[in-house]
Amino acid sequence: MQVKEVMSKEVITVKRSTTLKQLLDIFTTFHVFPLVPVIEGDNVLVGIVSFRNLINVFQPHQSQMLKTVPFLDEEEEDIFKVEFTEEVGSLVVAEDIMEKKFVAIQEDASLEEAYKLMKLHLKEEFPVVNRAGRLLGMVGIFDIVRYIFRQKGVIK
Amino acid sequence: MNTILGLGFILLAGLFSARLINKIKFPAVTAYLLLGIVIGPSVFKLIPNNIIGASGLISNIVLGIIAFSIGQNFSIDNFRRIGKSVIWISVLEACGAWVLVTLIFLILLKQPLYISLIFGAISSATAPAATIMVIREYRAKGNFTDTLLGVVAIDDAWCLIIFAISLAISQAISNHMLATFFLIRVFFNSILSIFGAFILGGVVAIALYYLSRYLRTQTELLIFTLGFVFLNIGIAVWLRLSVLLANMFLGAILVNINKSTFNFFDTLKTVDSPLFLLFFVLAGANLEIGILDRLGLIGLAYLIFRVVGKLIGAGLGARISGASGSIRRYLGLGLVPQAGVALGCALIAKSDFPKVGGMIFTTIIATTVVYELIGPLCTKFALQKAGEVVVEHGQNI
Repeated sequence: MQVKEVMSKEVITVKRSTTLKQLLDIFTTFHVFPLVPVIEGDNVLVGIVSFRNLINVFQPHQSQMLKTVPFLDEEEEDIFKVEFTEEVGSLVVAEDIMEKKFVAIQEDASLEEAYKLMKLHLKEEFPVVNRAGRLLGMVGIFDIVRYIFRQKGVIK
Repeated sequence: MNTILGLGFILLAGLFSARLINKIKFPAVTAYLLLGIVIGPSVFKLIPNNIIGASGLISNIVLGIIAFSIGQNFSIDNFRRIGKSVIWISVLEACGAWVLVTLIFLILLKQPLYISLIFGAISSATAPAATIMVIREYRAKGNFTDTLLGVVAIDDAWCLIIFAISLAISQAISNHMLATFFLIRVFFNSILSIFGAFILGGVVAIALYYLSRYLRTQTELLIFTLGFVFLNIGIAVWLRLSVLLANMFLGAILVNINKSTFNFFDTLKTVDSPLFLLFFVLAGANLEIGILDRLGLIGLAYLIFRVVGKLIGAGLGARISGASGSIRRYLGLGLVPQAGVALGCALIAKSDFPKVGGMIFTTIIATTVVYELIGPLCTKFALQKAGEVVVEHGQNI
């Protein structure tokens, strides 16, 4: 069984220019903030935003580049006491906070491979792309578990 | 005190002293270093000899891990992103300190060339922890801050290259002082050490990448990555190649093979902090207080000319790349602190040149303490002059 056969094809995506306010508005009714693919042009996947990245708004200097710097103290920002103005909602865009290094899975990968990657990277969800890097859907651990239950006849 | 008790004591004392020093806005690195000096053989003698004896081992491992991690900077994406100002300024401030300190030691202080070169190379390092802490504390933002962050992020990569080249030359000079074809030997040995490290890093990177497909869990990924980093360090030591360069090339080649290789770097972050703590405490413990009073002139010259070299280099880099006036004038002041990479390089020098190593290492430790204490003030001054300080003592200005 290939990933593309069980993945969710209806995915809410955002663009690089989507503002923080729009991001929060779109997902305001969700139970938890999902893994949101950032796309450009013809559905090409350029980044992902997770709830972890939302916290980056509180830590403006936690940029990708500083990740390689040795011996840096972790910043302890008290998110309950942090001060910022209303404009942050429209000044910060998805591109500023998105993760540019991420794992995406090929559409023709097997479910076993997808599950192995989830365990290896401690992730529960991956974007699914084709060879050209275009986003086709999302596959999560629940899609795989549901497939197994279906196979055993627990659900139809 | 037995070894394990000693280790437990160092880890816990390190943790609490870091918390304490954090209250007066100094980075954890400074706390570890001061703790090492205080509990080390020079003062309270609380660290067991077994642990002091393992300093070389710990520093090789820590430097290998750091060099591997710094190698990530060499991705094509990264160079495109950081821009020409940061590249020019970082290369020239590192080279500025290297050249100036080497010349001053050689000409003014009449030190042998190999010692001057080692001091010069170590002086090119910068420790970003204190600088970044100041930037965060004052919520600095703007073009100056962005350029400064870019420079401190990439600076250690240049330092490792400069140190590897200088070390190779210094070793060749001190080993073949009387040999015929002196220059040819120096040149040949240096090239061998650097080129060999490149080949080794490349071969190990390719092996690591292809074997990684058999990994199944995060635990395996961690063990696998650590294993390969150790393997690379070990082979480099065995073949007498540059450990720093071999690991930096391993990281650099890996990051360019495939975008998803960032996992190898991220996984090491889960285990590196206790090792780093141990490394700094042991660095502090290795300070020989007895030598301190004989270092006066050397220490002073190093303290002053390292900063002058960085100021001139950064100013020149900013001018060439057309950066703003405030970057040209003040950016060098954000590069005053030195710590981990400088200490690591000094420890390598200490083991490679046992006769003069103690003097080199003690100079670097003593100047590190001074730089770590005055560095934050210099950074704050530079940020204020550049007009990028947003918060002053908790108030918006």
